[in-house]
Amino acid sequence: MRAALTIEGLEVNFGGFKAVDGMTTVIDDGELRVILGPNGAGKTTLMDLISGKTATTGGKVHLFGRDITNRPEHEIARAGVGRKFQIPSIFRDLTVLQNLEVAVSHEPRVFRNLRLGMAAADRKRIDDVIELTGLDAVLDTLAGDLSHGQMQWLELGMLITQQSRVILLDEPTAGMTQAETSKTADIILRLKGTHTILVVEHDMAFVRKIAERVTVMHLGKLLAEGPMQAIEADPAVREAYLGSGGMH
Amino acid sequence: MSNRIFRLGDRAVYAAFIIIVLALPLMVDDVFWLNRIAKYLVFGMLGLAIALSWGYAGILNLGQGLFFGLGAYMIAMSLKLQSFTSLQQGSDTPIPDFMLWNAQPGAPTDLCCITPGSWLWIPFQAQWFGIVMAIVVPVVFALILGATIFRLRISGVYVAIITLALVLLARLLFIDLQPVTNGFNGLTDLGWLTVGGIEFDPFMVETYYIIAVSVCAVLLLSRWLISTRAGLILQSTRDDPNRSRYLGYDVASYQIFFFTVSAGIAGFAGMLFVIVSEFATPTYFDIAFSISMVVWAAVGGRSSLIGAALGAILINTIEASVSESETFQQAWRLIIGVVFVLVVLYMPRGLAGLARDLLARVVELSGRAGRKDARSTRTAAE
Ligand SMILES: Nc1ncnc2c1ncn2[C@@H]1O[C@H](COP(=O)(O)OP(=O)(O)O)[C@@H](O)[C@H]1O
Ligand SMILES: [Mg+2]
Repeated sequence: MRAALTIEGLEVNFGGFKAVDGMTTVIDDGELRVILGPNGAGKTTLMDLISGKTATTGGKVHLFGRDITNRPEHEIARAGVGRKFQIPSIFRDLTVLQNLEVAVSHEPRVFRNLRLGMAAADRKRIDDVIELTGLDAVLDTLAGDLSHGQMQWLELGMLITQQSRVILLDEPTAGMTQAETSKTADIILRLKGTHTILVVEHDMAFVRKIAERVTVMHLGKLLAEGPMQAIEADPAVREAYLGSGGMH
Repeated sequence: MSNRIFRLGDRAVYAAFIIIVLALPLMVDDVFWLNRIAKYLVFGMLGLAIALSWGYAGILNLGQGLFFGLGAYMIAMSLKLQSFTSLQQGSDTPIPDFMLWNAQPGAPTDLCCITPGSWLWIPFQAQWFGIVMAIVVPVVFALILGATIFRLRISGVYVAIITLALVLLARLLFIDLQPVTNGFNGLTDLGWLTVGGIEFDPFMVETYYIIAVSVCAVLLLSRWLISTRAGLILQSTRDDPNRSRYLGYDVASYQIFFFTVSAGIAGFAGMLFVIVSEFATPTYFDIAFSISMVVWAAVGGRSSLIGAALGAILINTIEASVSESETFQQAWRLIIGVVFVLVVLYMPRGLAGLARDLLARVVELSGRAGRKDARSTRTAAE
């Protein structure tokens, strides 16, 4: 299997404190990988390092063999990494439809975008995403007026519209009701295979529903990696979680 | 449904504006009034330029007067050399009168070296050079400034402070460079713009039309710009620049582009203003002037290009009619200040937003009335 994302000895030093400390893992093309770890383990920071939000102080990130370490955010995005944040990051003063239109970003340059309208293929892509995320009833609503769950789906929909090959999802079900969580799991499962997905999640019911391989982080390092059952039985993992309230 | 009505309403306002502006000389035959209105139209352009950067890009430029002033001085230099007095200074080539007053003893009466820096004026003997520079200088300056600010990811209030500081600096510089700029007094006693043998006297209908057509063209061009994909992406960078970055957009390049367009419009406005007012002075670099532009846009509606333009025209018209009386003039400053604060706090979309809300209300009421009608006919049928 071809590697989509190769993380090699990744490290960031915040004035003496290493939030991510020599993290190494390889995520295959088309894989859905769940990252677990107690609070403060460095999961969000790992995504910050991959997506260029935070500069690394050591190690490498390769995307389909290409070195993307410490590139500017927009270049990493163009290389194929899409990112969903813990707190939904959407364009609140634009309508839902406009949010999705902006997400069609295969032509990023200013002058090339000095034109009206969109290609039929792009329209079709947006329509598919609307169908997938079930946002058809709120297309003309300002994104800032959506419910929390809808905002999360919109952001997810934008990543799909963007056609990122690798999608980083940071706690996509945070603050969701059970019904919303289940719908989010369905959306993510439908992306499996066509996208490589890296999910940070706390909700164990959700994780069990979607997980194949699981990576556990602790104190900025890789603690364990493997299929869900093996991870749940791993004494080292149990111990790491005991110190911070256990797995739920 | 209501979206279509808004679009129609929007188009109707643009069409009405353009028709009125172009047909005005048919209704007003007082050339002094036309000249005055031409100036307000130029201010309308300034309001529009602020809306473009502030409303659509989220960039509050408190030093827009810098670009207006640069545009104004560039054309004024050419028109100064075209003035009758400049040809009367005892030289074969035109020399601005103030340069003789500032000349070093024994300096030759020639643009090359009559005062330190007077050589800068040499290419301005060609009027086209002044016209081109009135756009090019503000645009290049904005490009350099914008590239510096936005590549460094400076935003919000810091942009406001930097632009404010720069316009102050320009003011000091233009006053200080007396031998080249005539300092505090600025460039007065200008010649008329001359194109194809026609001299554009500021009090001529043809001159009014230069302004009117320019304003309409800038309005339509800006409207097109913001309705392109680039305009939409720009608005996304205003809402959440990080999200735009993670979608793959180089946010700075969008900010630089629209900041520069806005500056170019201000420079163009500066040039037009000189054509109708016949002077360029360092007062264009006054902070109060730059802040006024922001007030016009805020009152008219910073998220509406035409709203901001109408805000500028409206406020200036009222200001001119109350400025006849001294006490009113004092009160006016206060009133405008209070109105600005109220608008920013309670009506962030300005008059344009108010108009939209009213239209929405009308649509809603008529929709309800329509449903009621339908219901009563149905009951009648039963
Ligand atoms: N910019 C920063 N400067 C200093 N410390 C940080 C910074 N970002 C994160 N941290 C610290 O790094 C650790 C890991 O944080 P985070 O990656 O958010 O954990 P997780 O997402 O796994 O809960 C935490 O202790 C946090 O306080
Ligand atoms: Mg986190």
